Amino acid sequence: MKSQSKKLAVERAQPWLGTLVSMRVEGLPAADAHRAIDAAFDEVAAIHRLMSFHDPRSDVSRLNSHGYHLPVTVHPSTLDVLHWAQNLSLLSDGCFDVSVAAELVDWQLLPVPAGAVRSPKGSWRDIELRSDGKVRFHRPLWIDLGGIAKGYAVDRATQCLRARGASFSLVNAGGDIRVAGQHAEPIGLDTGPDTQSTVALPVIELKDGSIASSSGHRQRRWHLGRQCGPHVDGASRTPAATDRFVCVIAEQCVMADALTKVVMAKGSHSEGALRRFGASAHIHDPRNGWRHLDAGVEAA
Amino acid sequence: MKSRFFLLPLASFVLPGGPAYATVYLSPEQAQALMFPDATFQPDPRTLTNKQAKAIEHASGVNVRGRQLKLWRVSNGGWFIVDEVVGKHEFIPFALGLDDAGAVRAVEILEYREAYGGQIREPDWRKQFIGKQAGSKLQLNKSIHNISGATLSCKHITDGVNRLLATYEIAIKETGR
Repeated sequence: MKSQSKKLAVERAQPWLGTLVSMRVEGLPAADAHRAIDAAFDEVAAIHRLMSFHDPRSDVSRLNSHGYHLPVTVHPSTLDVLHWAQNLSLLSDGCFDVSVAAELVDWQLLPVPAGAVRSPKGSWRDIELRSDGKVRFHRPLWIDLGGIAKGYAVDRATQCLRARGASFSLVNAGGDIRVAGQHAEPIGLDTGPDTQSTVALPVIELKDGSIASSSGHRQRRWHLGRQCGPHVDGASRTPAATDRFVCVIAEQCVMADALTKVVMAKGSHSEGALRRFGASAHIHDPRNGWRHLDAGVEAA
Repeated sequence: MKSRFFLLPLASFVLPGGPAYATVYLSPEQAQALMFPDATFQPDPRTLTNKQAKAIEHASGVNVRGRQLKLWRVSNGGWFIVDEVVGKHEFIPFALGLDDAGAVRAVEILEYREAYGGQIREPDWRKQFIGKQAGSKLQLNKSIHNISGATLSCKHITDGVNRLLATYEIAIKETGR
């Protein structure tokens, strides 16, 4: 390998979590940077295996098939993500809810989970996170941690790279991005085919923070006479706007990703939830153009 | 945490061929050294027969586009393959490391090229900017390499790996070491 001793940027990418995960590290000799990236990819791979909706051996699949019948022991990372999720469900009055997988299966945006209990009909309120580290569902539920698991993996990878001495790191899991270190990084926003401007590209310059984005365009479909996208308002169990693009900036990527679901469903009414987590959001839709939520954001 | 939102005028931004970017992550040699430290590599290129290609397609459910197999034997056991898959619009070269038993040891993307935004890939849309790049200077001191919003599926890479696992069973394993 070239430049073993020089401190150049080292960047690699691997397929995980249903997307491409890339990592860039600066401030380390190349060999150390590669070892740090190896360790960070190990973290991402572990989260991939634990939280996959599709893999019957994952914690998520074991919960979907057995969680209603008996308490299921899950990995501390899975429990950690569920704690994040439950906290946001509480603070968003159920607008964020990991149990909306049932609706996404109904709308054919997720496959029916193999071996899962039939007729899921509960909500986040039926998830009990026990002090012994086990998880129990009080009603039949299908949960999906897809998005926030990506954000969580980005956070864990970032911690790993920082702990190994990176002075700058950028971890990108399919658009869930965390930037850590001295300099700012420009992140382009892909608002989707319906909202893309032909005169200007939206860009966020980000330093020491996370960004996650969502749009309803790409996966929308008709179901029982209405247009459904990949986002569900957990409180009303109805599809969120499919023509909206949102991006959320928060310190932690797990929170940025989770909050995109709240902003997607509530639009401008999500300011309270954003404020609680020190987050900001940028929303675009064809009727209103760009809207910026949070007084602290500098928009030019 | 600090963030700034701005709209970048496209006329000042677009370069010939559109604002596509390419990231080279690793050379095949670098991927070899990362996957199999301290090993040496013996090139063992092969050409798949029609019969093998059909059997691989049948076993993996994935089209075999090329018959040339860029294969290396690893001195301390295992195999190293460089291959590529077609992304949405571009070829994505990747490396696969297999252990002695044919199980996946690692997958590394070698290079990634992608354009900014869906419509920017459309030739008609690009045309309007041809010749306009010599305008005002880009307001950023660096180019944009990361995009948020376009969820990128890695299904084509997963398919590529599955095709190579079938290739191992049909065209590599029996030849022994």
